[in-house]
Amino acid sequence: MWDQTKTMFLEGLERVALALARLLPGLLVMLVLVLLSAAAAFLASFLVRRIGARLDVDRRLREWGMAPPARTDHLGPTRLTARVAAWTVVAIGFLVGLSVLESSATSALALRLLDYVPHALVGVLILAVGMAGSRALERSVLIGSVNMGLHSARLLGLGARWLLLVLAAAMAFEHFGIGGSILTAAFSILFGGIVLALSLAVGFGARDLVARSLERRFQEQAEKREPGNGDDLHHL
Amino acid sequence: MVAVQGQGQGEQALATARLLDERLRLRFASLEPMVTVSAGRAGGVTLVPIEPDGPTPLPRGSPAVTPAASQGAVPGPASPLGPLLREGVARGAAVAIVAAEPHDESIDWLAQLVTPVLTGGFDLVCPTYRRHRTDGAITTGIVAPLFRTLYGQALRQPLGTEAALSAPFARRLLADEDWRRRPTEAGSDAWLIAKALGGEARVAQVWLGAWPRPDGAPEDLGDTLVRALGLVFGEMERGAAVWQRLRPARAVPSFGTGGFEPGGEPPEASRLWEAFSRGLRDLLPIWSLVLPPATLLALQRCAARPVEAGGLPDELWARSIFDFSVAHLTRRVERRQLLRSLAPLYLGWLAGLAHAAATFDDAGFEARVEATAVAFEREKRYLISRWRWPDEFNP
Repeated sequence: MWDQTKTMFLEGLERVALALARLLPGLLVMLVLVLLSAAAAFLASFLVRRIGARLDVDRRLREWGMAPPARTDHLGPTRLTARVAAWTVVAIGFLVGLSVLESSATSALALRLLDYVPHALVGVLILAVGMAGSRALERSVLIGSVNMGLHSARLLGLGARWLLLVLAAAMAFEHFGIGGSILTAAFSILFGGIVLALSLAVGFGARDLVARSLERRFQEQAEKREPGNGDDLHHL
Repeated sequence: MVAVQGQGQGEQALATARLLDERLRLRFASLEPMVTVSAGRAGGVTLVPIEPDGPTPLPRGSPAVTPAASQGAVPGPASPLGPLLREGVARGAAVAIVAAEPHDESIDWLAQLVTPVLTGGFDLVCPTYRRHRTDGAITTGIVAPLFRTLYGQALRQPLGTEAALSAPFARRLLADEDWRRRPTEAGSDAWLIAKALGGEARVAQVWLGAWPRPDGAPEDLGDTLVRALGLVFGEMERGAAVWQRLRPARAVPSFGTGGFEPGGEPPEASRLWEAFSRGLRDLLPIWSLVLPPATLLALQRCAARPVEAGGLPDELWARSIFDFSVAHLTRRVERRQLLRSLAPLYLGWLAGLAHAAATFDDAGFEARVEATAVAFEREKRYLISRWRWPDEFNP
């Protein structure tokens, strides 16, 4: 009885040892890959920082209003991009390392995640461009509206910003594969709903108001063109 | 010989140039005047000499320089100044005149422009026009005080349409490195004036009668600010080494009879003030990148008062313009957006000017304009300190 137990125990140990021995080269390769990816991540981060500094990206983005003003407690766009690039390279290295392990479950997971990486990167890029563009758009709309003498300039700027942000988020989510067709449908319903609501509101509730407003506006423009009213000023 | 540049568009340019040619031949027959019309072509401007006795065909498919050129601020290859000076110097001209269109016929304006150069030994003669009091307020409230502060010479209308240049000054300008180093910026009115005032040229100004008011609606305020101040601030940036040396103010010799054009109802001050107050409220996030907190606070206090209380104080206005010029230098905000965002602040200052125009007589109004220019001069040290240490006040 004791001998049988001992044999089974030893056989079990042998199997574990064999499995470990089979796994060890894979783990070693994975470790090397992770180390290599860490080095590549450092290089990528360094390159992004150097290119960002050479092209003066942070200042340019701030100049266009695409990035918030520089603060000591905030990461600048270049540093943020460098960090994202570094961690992306490390994550890809880790996933490639996982895929070389002789384990069907981890390999399948790693391959699926590796397939997902390009979509995720495009999604992040769309989101980043959307966020930067929305800030620039807000500033541009704000200045334009103020100079046109509109009363709700800030609201218009904010509206334009959020419109672009929501659009970018919807596109990014599609690339992330989150929500699927539900998100597209929700987005279409939301925008269609806003336009329909505005049309109904104008058509039923504010037709006279809009007519009066347009009348007043055209009248003002005509008055502005009349000499002596002050708006025929040549400023230069 | 006199080389004259007619500007305009198509047939209008030709008609203008022919008229100038006729007048010059009548007035200065002994000087063998030559008139050319500038025709735009891809990558530059070409000069077409006017034939007094025959047709002058413009090159096909090349419209003459756009009307904006005659508003005084076209730099780079589209500027007719460089080709005119080259032509004038090549033909041994004594005077080169940049002229746009005929003026007040009651004044011998061509002689007014040419004589100080021919007989007075001046290098550059700038025109000054009689205008309605609140016309050209960007010139009155920003451009003229700024040039006066920077170079110590008080030109009333530095970005005029016309100019007469002596042959030696033309040669000096042609030898300037800017044509090669900064081809897109050389040749504008702001460049010409900065070169003249910063280079110790002898400058005079002449009154050329009533301002020839252009037909059609005025240019959009934002566009005007971008076009004119972009060039002026750009020249400030490039001439910083020259204007930072404090210079004693010198009077600019002035010829002719000046004053304001009668009539011209000033704009409604309260409406302009309201636009300023609204702009201050809405553009605060952008202005806080440009103006120091003390200036913003002062602007907010001003906005809380009615315009009748005096509008924007001159010192505050001067400092604000200097802050915008520093923001233009440091590119804290994209340059076109920065200059467009100045519009409500300018309207605030214009509200005070409009109130003064409605309140004072000509002498009182002139004193008001002079006070603004003096405030700019007083604040020059502030400009220099901000220019040298632009990050001191930045958030």
